[in-house]
Amino acid sequence: MQQEVVLALLAKEPSQGYQLRARLNDALGPLGEALNAGQIYVVLGRLEKTGLVSLEGVTGTRDGERKVYALTPSGQERVSEWLAEVTWPKPDLAEFHLKLIAAAAAGLADPIGIVDAQRRELLRRLRDVQRAELEEPDGSDAALLLEGIVLRLQADLRWLEACEANWTTRRRKQ
Amino acid sequence: MGTALLVFRLAIRDVRRHVAQAALLVVAIAAAAATLTMALALNGVTSQQPYAATRAAAKGPDVVAYLTSASQAKSLIHASGVASSSGPYPVASAVIRFHGRIADVFAEGRSPAPVAVDQPLLTAGDWVRPDGVVIERTFADALGVSVGDEVSVGGRSFVVAGIAVTAAQAPYPNLCNGTLLGPDAMESRFSNACPPSFKIPTLSLSGHRELSSSDDVGLIWTTESDAIGLTSPADPLTTYALNLKLTPPVDAQAFAYEHFQSNPLAVATWEGIASEDGLLVRDGQGVLQPGALLLALLAIASVAVLVGRRLSEYARRVGLLKAVGGTPSLVAVVFLVENLVLALFAALVGLMAGWLASPLVVKPGAALVGSAGAPAISVTTVAEVVGLAIVVSLAATLVPAIRAARGSTVAALNDIGRPPRRRGTLIRISTKLPIPALYGLRLVARRPRRALLNGANIAVTVTGIVAVLAFHAYADDKLSGASALTAGGLSNPVINRDEQMLTVITVMILTLAVLNALFTTWAMVLDARRSSALMRALGARARQVSSGLVLAQVLSALPGAILGVPLGFGLFTAAVHGGTLPPVSWLVAAVLGTLVAMAGLTIVPATMGTRQPVTEVLQAEAA
Amino acid sequence: MTKEEATKGVESLLLRTQGLRKEYGRDEGLVRAVDDVDLEVTRGETLAVMGPSGCGKSTLLHLLGGLDRPSGGELWLDGKRIDRLSERGLARLRRWDIGFVFQAFHLMDELTARENVELPALIAGRSSRQAGVRALELLDQVGLADRAGHLPSALSGGQRQRVAIARSLVNEPLVVLADEPTGNLDSAATLEVLRLFDHLHASGQTLVIVTHDERVAATADRIVSMRDGALVDEIRLTGGTRANLRDLMTLER
Repeated sequence: MQQEVVLALLAKEPSQGYQLRARLNDALGPLGEALNAGQIYVVLGRLEKTGLVSLEGVTGTRDGERKVYALTPSGQERVSEWLAEVTWPKPDLAEFHLKLIAAAAAGLADPIGIVDAQRRELLRRLRDVQRAELEEPDGSDAALLLEGIVLRLQADLRWLEACEANWTTRRRKQ
Repeated sequence: MGTALLVFRLAIRDVRRHVAQAALLVVAIAAAAATLTMALALNGVTSQQPYAATRAAAKGPDVVAYLTSASQAKSLIHASGVASSSGPYPVASAVIRFHGRIADVFAEGRSPAPVAVDQPLLTAGDWVRPDGVVIERTFADALGVSVGDEVSVGGRSFVVAGIAVTAAQAPYPNLCNGTLLGPDAMESRFSNACPPSFKIPTLSLSGHRELSSSDDVGLIWTTESDAIGLTSPADPLTTYALNLKLTPPVDAQAFAYEHFQSNPLAVATWEGIASEDGLLVRDGQGVLQPGALLLALLAIASVAVLVGRRLSEYARRVGLLKAVGGTPSLVAVVFLVENLVLALFAALVGLMAGWLASPLVVKPGAALVGSAGAPAISVTTVAEVVGLAIVVSLAATLVPAIRAARGSTVAALNDIGRPPRRRGTLIRISTKLPIPALYGLRLVARRPRRALLNGANIAVTVTGIVAVLAFHAYADDKLSGASALTAGGLSNPVINRDEQMLTVITVMILTLAVLNALFTTWAMVLDARRSSALMRALGARARQVSSGLVLAQVLSALPGAILGVPLGFGLFTAAVHGGTLPPVSWLVAAVLGTLVAMAGLTIVPATMGTRQPVTEVLQAEAA
Repeated sequence: MTKEEATKGVESLLLRTQGLRKEYGRDEGLVRAVDDVDLEVTRGETLAVMGPSGCGKSTLLHLLGGLDRPSGGELWLDGKRIDRLSERGLARLRRWDIGFVFQAFHLMDELTARENVELPALIAGRSSRQAGVRALELLDQVGLADRAGHLPSALSGGQRQRVAIARSLVNEPLVVLADEPTGNLDSAATLEVLRLFDHLHASGQTLVIVTHDERVAATADRIVSMRDGALVDEIRLTGGTRANLRDLMTLER
């Protein structure tokens, strides 16, 4: 769980932990269900330690105390910086690429077999995500996120097909 | 200047790539041009007044009188207003036989010495001598004799001494001559195109009833004693011909009226004879002019069909022209110029062909001096023929060219061709029909303009066919059953020539129509390739699809075929002023025959089209 | 045949090919578009055929659909041999047993959506009224009932393809064959079509889809890959558990 995400969720108004979680679930849809429930509080705790979040107050209810968290000024600053950043989470192509070369060089495994296996896996994932997307109502936030994941997987699959073609040609030439 | 050169080069390149279509275009327009040339040549012949030339050369009389006795001649010769005369000459009726052919003749007995009035002009051989006859030229052609041949006249053997033309009688066959008459003197005029002033000699036919046609009377000249020798107690001499030349101012009509009021059939004026000569020519024009019109219409239709397909290809080529700095209007100009140039070329070809063929057409004015051989082509003729070619070309190409010029370049590049039309009602109706009919009807509905063009083509074709049929019915009627051959075996030169011309024109019409139809069906099958393939992909059988294509052609042709009947008959009556409707069975046969031919012409491209694998077509069309 | 297939029973096999071949040209110019393909499709299955362009997958589909004749091999549909059918027999096949969906949609431009959909029914001999009713039914199923009277030019790409899919279903075919059905569509329209295919699959329709789009392939039960006319790979896609989704979270740095 990215710290900056939690910070940004707090930017709207001071909230309690469970409220943040609810907002996350709404945004992530089925992916949100995979989230560990307790993760949020861990992150909040860390953020409090680094001074980006402060404990606003404690509301008392019949069920017990609930902490209310809010952004500190430096927290707000951090959020602004984060919103302006343009780095894109990097997929790990280099590792897979090296995996294939190493396997071929050392004769440990058939690179094409590795590619096929990876392809199989990605296709299965694609199927699952796409299925989830289709079940979402049109235009929901979650659907949009799922679409993004699908397209990424599709791109990765295309690269894997290119790998397959490339390694097949290499083998033929030998 | 640069643009002109560019246009020219583009036009040439285009023609080189579509030689077949260009050739077809030239053929179509040339056919129409040739026919028009012949019509105009014939016209020229009459306007050149060859009769006047004959009259001068053969010393034609102003009045010809047919008397029942020689003594009647004296009062006429000395009548006031008469300048000179020749005759009276005995005229005997006899039967001539030559190589199995028989005909009635009038044998006019003449002196061997030349006379001042009505001295027939020899075109071959010599003048009359004992046992030597001279035969009128048109009749000689019909009989098939030449100088030196032996003929039998009235049972006696004669030699053909010479062949001549005269201005004192209309040439064989006498179109206006219906009065030939048996002893009952029944008049039987059959053509009301006869001028009222024309009078016909009242001669009795020889008693041979087997010669049923009453106008197959030829003219020969013999010596006076030979002529008398042809008479017999059974067949006495009853007629004498007297040729009169009047003093100027010459009023032959008044003279004839003054002296023959009570017996109008006994006299002929030179105007009457002249106009009968003219009739022969006009008769020919009556065939040629409508023929030329029909061919011109067909030519327009041909050009429109040929050009219609090409325009969409032009649109595609706009991209090429853009590289040269061109625009859709440039495309249109190239298009117009190219077709115009082809049309002009076709006009030249047609002019030459028509000029070469005109003797054929002009011949039965063979009696007329100065009409043998090809008549000169006047400047007006050239202008009119070229004008026709230009009109035909523009009529077919102007509208598409303007549309192409106005079109946007973008649209042209994307080849947004005219989308098919939608006729909701027709589509709904078609759902109740079996698949071939469903498909055929929808095909017609989606391209109504092409259907109309098709119908127009067929209308013109059937019009031509019906006009020809009407002529045959008319000719049959006219000759009471006999065709181009008289009962005696002679060829009737006028009917012959008319039939020849008709045949040529009919062949031209049919050829153009077939070519037109082929192109239309080919264009339609190509246009329908995608939907045909789709129908098959959806489960229609190839036979259902090709039947639909055939049906679409027949459906669009049907109204045209039916319309062609009244149009054809109208055309014929307008040309000939009269005539009866041909038998209904002929008309039905003409219409059905045309439709069947249309169907047959479609079957081949349709079947070939449905042989191609579906996927090939669909992939090509999607690309 | 594996034990699994044997226990399935041959009746559940809807489509079967054995040594299917399609060749063009001769001698040195011989091109094997489809090279000795053995394929099986069970009833109710969605099969995706993937491969690079020119690998022969479209040709294979055309052979399966009777749009083209094989050069050799056997082809069985619903227990009947169909590779040697006459033109008439093939037409009947396309009419009753097979629905085809093309990449370029291939709708008739001058017909409305409904008229396009009802056309195969009319070809199959249904009455005008029956065909129209059935067409409306199907347009409703694909969610285009309100566009029944529109011409294709008034429809988006995705809508046109849905009309084409409706058309392919009108005679209740045994199998629907789709050749790159999303090839001409953007991603939104692709989703529409995928949703439709999902519904069809859920209703038990057998589908064979040729595609190079992984998204489309991912909707299938099984993916076969072709290369140079031959089948080279087969992937069975079993449904994943939700737990997999966690792996996809890229929110962790």
